[in-house]
Amino acid sequence: MNEAKVVTEGDLAQINEMAAEYRQMKWALIPLVQSIQDKFGYIPPQCIPSISEALGLFPSQVQGVISFYTQLYTEPRGKHIVRVCRGTACHVRGGKTILKLVKQHLGIEEGETTPDWEYTMETVACLGVCALAPNVVINDQVHGHMNPRKIEQLFKKDGE
Amino acid sequence: METVTITLNGREVSGHPGMTVLELARESGVDIPTLCYDAHLTPIGACRICLVEDEQTGALMASCVAPIAPGMVINTRSERVIAHRKTIVNLMLASHPDSCMVCDKDNRCQLRQIAADIGIGLVELRRLPQMASIQEVNPFIERDLSKCILCGKCIRACQELVVEGAIDYFQRGFTAKPATFGDFPLESSECTFCGTCVALCSTGALTEKEKTYHGTTRTAVETTCPYCGCGCSISLEVKDSQVIRVTPGKEDRVNQGALCVRGSYGYDFVHSPDRLTKPLARTEDDLKEVSWEEALERAAGELKRIKEKYGPDSLAVLGSPRCTNEENYLLQRFARCVLGTNNIDNGSRLYSSATESIPALAHRRNDLSTLEQSDVIMVIGADPSSSAPIVEYAIKRAVRFKGARLILIDPRRTKLASFAHLWLRPRIGTDVALLNSLAEVIINEGLLNKEFVAQKTDDLEALVKYSTDYAGAITSIPAEAITAAARLYAKADSAAIVYGSGITQYSSGTNSLKALANLALLTGNIGGDGEKGGVYPIIRESNAQGACDMGVLPNFLPGYQSVVDAGVRRRFEEWWGVDLPAKPGLTAVEIIEQAKEGKIKGLYVVGENPVLSFPNSSLVSEAMSCLECLIVQDIFLSKTAELATVVLPAASFAEKEGTFTNLEGRVNRLRKAIEPVGESLSDWEIVQRLAERMGYLLHFSSPQQIMDEVKELVPHQAELEGPLHFSRVEYVPLSDGAKEDYPFVLLTGTTLHHHGTGTRSSRAKRLVNFSPQPFLEIGAPDAIKVAITNGDRVRITSPTGEVTAKVKIVDTLPERMLFMSVSFPDTPVNGLFDIVLDTEAKTPALKSCYVKVEKVGPDE
Repeated sequence: MNEAKVVTEGDLAQINEMAAEYRQMKWALIPLVQSIQDKFGYIPPQCIPSISEALGLFPSQVQGVISFYTQLYTEPRGKHIVRVCRGTACHVRGGKTILKLVKQHLGIEEGETTPDWEYTMETVACLGVCALAPNVVINDQVHGHMNPRKIEQLFKKDGE
Repeated sequence: METVTITLNGREVSGHPGMTVLELARESGVDIPTLCYDAHLTPIGACRICLVEDEQTGALMASCVAPIAPGMVINTRSERVIAHRKTIVNLMLASHPDSCMVCDKDNRCQLRQIAADIGIGLVELRRLPQMASIQEVNPFIERDLSKCILCGKCIRACQELVVEGAIDYFQRGFTAKPATFGDFPLESSECTFCGTCVALCSTGALTEKEKTYHGTTRTAVETTCPYCGCGCSISLEVKDSQVIRVTPGKEDRVNQGALCVRGSYGYDFVHSPDRLTKPLARTEDDLKEVSWEEALERAAGELKRIKEKYGPDSLAVLGSPRCTNEENYLLQRFARCVLGTNNIDNGSRLYSSATESIPALAHRRNDLSTLEQSDVIMVIGADPSSSAPIVEYAIKRAVRFKGARLILIDPRRTKLASFAHLWLRPRIGTDVALLNSLAEVIINEGLLNKEFVAQKTDDLEALVKYSTDYAGAITSIPAEAITAAARLYAKADSAAIVYGSGITQYSSGTNSLKALANLALLTGNIGGDGEKGGVYPIIRESNAQGACDMGVLPNFLPGYQSVVDAGVRRRFEEWWGVDLPAKPGLTAVEIIEQAKEGKIKGLYVVGENPVLSFPNSSLVSEAMSCLECLIVQDIFLSKTAELATVVLPAASFAEKEGTFTNLEGRVNRLRKAIEPVGESLSDWEIVQRLAERMGYLLHFSSPQQIMDEVKELVPHQAELEGPLHFSRVEYVPLSDGAKEDYPFVLLTGTTLHHHGTGTRSSRAKRLVNFSPQPFLEIGAPDAIKVAITNGDRVRITSPTGEVTAKVKIVDTLPERMLFMSVSFPDTPVNGLFDIVLDTEAKTPALKSCYVKVEKVGPDE
């Protein structure tokens, strides 16, 4: 595992400082956790008690808010986010197979991250570009008309 | 007053602005079913069961969150409403297991009641079960989230009533559920197992953990919790003469729908096999079961003999802060009329200094609702989180939801520390210095309530003021912190003080109280009858207040009427038909001391356990063995009862009628739920029978009749006239300073899961399962010095005695300070204390002593 991806003691101290700026301000929870995520890539669960104490909330409440939003993560994420579409049009055009292939290539299941922290893979319900089905999105780039060969190229590792 | 009129089911009804449709409907006798609504909680309109139709707009709305508006035409049972309700319940049932037949919630399940009410026979939707595992190992609460309907009452109860916040919604959509932080089991969370959520749960998702399925109960008796001084209203559910469940009572002006772990799960002692069921009398060295006739004959005979041989003042009586007002009244009448002595006192002497001598504090009724409305709350020498949880809930609610500021004065980091705006950690026994210094800042900075001081008080010049530097040196609190606390307290519109045995169980206890009273007088925050502020005592026992009110005191007749006042005595003599002793009697610890010296020959102990509750257990045991006759009346064979000549079995709180007076001064009813266990009798009946045997006839046939007599003899407390005085109090250092051989100071106190000396809570099996033994709490740096670690067994030795206990390393204590609970009968911590009494109130110093700690083998 790439140690650098996981927060250090120093990072946690920095998070505590960020939280301290919002002492007793309940409204600041979402902007605060967003800025923590922007900075460290995710919201380390071990910082939830100190965030709660600063804002005057309970840890269970902060956890509740973070777990409600799919855009907030409590686990470190890969450098690249791969989203495979499972919408109707993609499904009809073999999306299921595409998903299977992506899983095979990356060696991970949905919601997981590769051990080298390169990729995190998710599925989405529909991307709205059904004309290009089946679709895969890597970061913000849509890759349409996917087939096994294209998948192979997309995830070809350097030197292979 | 402004009213809003709406049409409800064709009838015009009026309410006040801001009321919801649901509230107005319930007030007008119209029933609307609800699941997520509870009057104690913020309505969230989550379950949609309370839908009603606005006939003008056709809108369906959740009535629990819909405010009434003029001219509204509401139908609570139109066809559309009923059809929608059916669909909602169907949806809930579609993901609910079909386990009703074997579910412990049985007919108490609100979901089942509503389904039955609106006539759902078959769930017409595809089933979508939500899987959940049960993983709790705690002995109190079982969570089966497959039955959860996400009404969120448990979450709101935990956050809004108890302010513990152990649970909240977790995740979203199909996977949403109430969960602890980290989704751990309850025992690994902040949960205190107060049981409030269990009582509110709409379904069988949260239930009491119990081995047997009791089925539906038909009897529930509203009564009062027998543990601490909060006096919570509880409801005892009874089946087949067994108390099988406790829920928060309906007359809950004190606890407002919440309880604590002792209230919810501590009632098991009622059915303990250890209960005394027959009187016992001593033969040679053994206690043998005897008949009531024989026991009373023996007890009466001994008392008569001693009275004749040595005179009435060779006898003494200890009453109980756990017995009812009526019983305590009768007991003091017994002592004074039958025995002819004022040597009567009660166990509350052990932890609360008498406030009668401080007019600013005496006889003021301060409601917890007033405390909750205060702008500033100062908590000093009290850990209400364990000693009086309902008070803690009120303080936390005030801070979290009403913007109150909390000043915490305690050397230990108690749970309230995380709610405190200012936390002062004084050295032990230096409270007077700190409080005098707060007074100095208030006066110097002109923060006193000049109008109040001029009109209502007297002797301002008597007040002793210490500079913050001087007090800072004594207390080790920085001068700026003292100044900040004084400003915060004095500048508040309303400021309340909550104090506990952390200041009263010192030899300077009464002085500390006087210094507190001075602060309340300076700022006009003396409270009483709904007035702002107030000084709240954390009273440890359910009826400590009542026992004192009823005259179970050596110097006062009922209603704090002095025994030395001949006029007062005459009134009582006329009623009782006897001459009353005029000389004030001995206080509790003095009685024991005099027994040791052979001056007290006979002692009648009712519901008290001096061997464990008094300082210096070995001396107390010795004193008991010097007696010619010891009569103990209790529900269990306590350590004291083991030494008795005669033991009289008493009925428990669940088996009798009467009243308790709580720490607010509120009189709460105790109602009989089950018949007394075995041959046990209510304390008042035993006292009456004993009096009869001694030739003094009392003709009471119920506690109500006793209370009627009390009302005749105790005039309603008249409004105190004349100015209130400031008291002159000086700081006096503790007499027993640190000694070379005893490097640690041991603080003692209560723990949440046990109570008093543990006579009852150690027989409540679930409390014992969860918290089987006391720990010696020690900070990590000190533990390293003594070379001990978590789980090690250590011997704690003071100059007076020793006990052994396991070690728990905590981060709540300052250096060289230890903490231990006094509530475990097998670990008599009070045995470490020598007898040192408060000079005025004669309360023994039982809060701190100097000890040494050494590791011992596991078998010692």
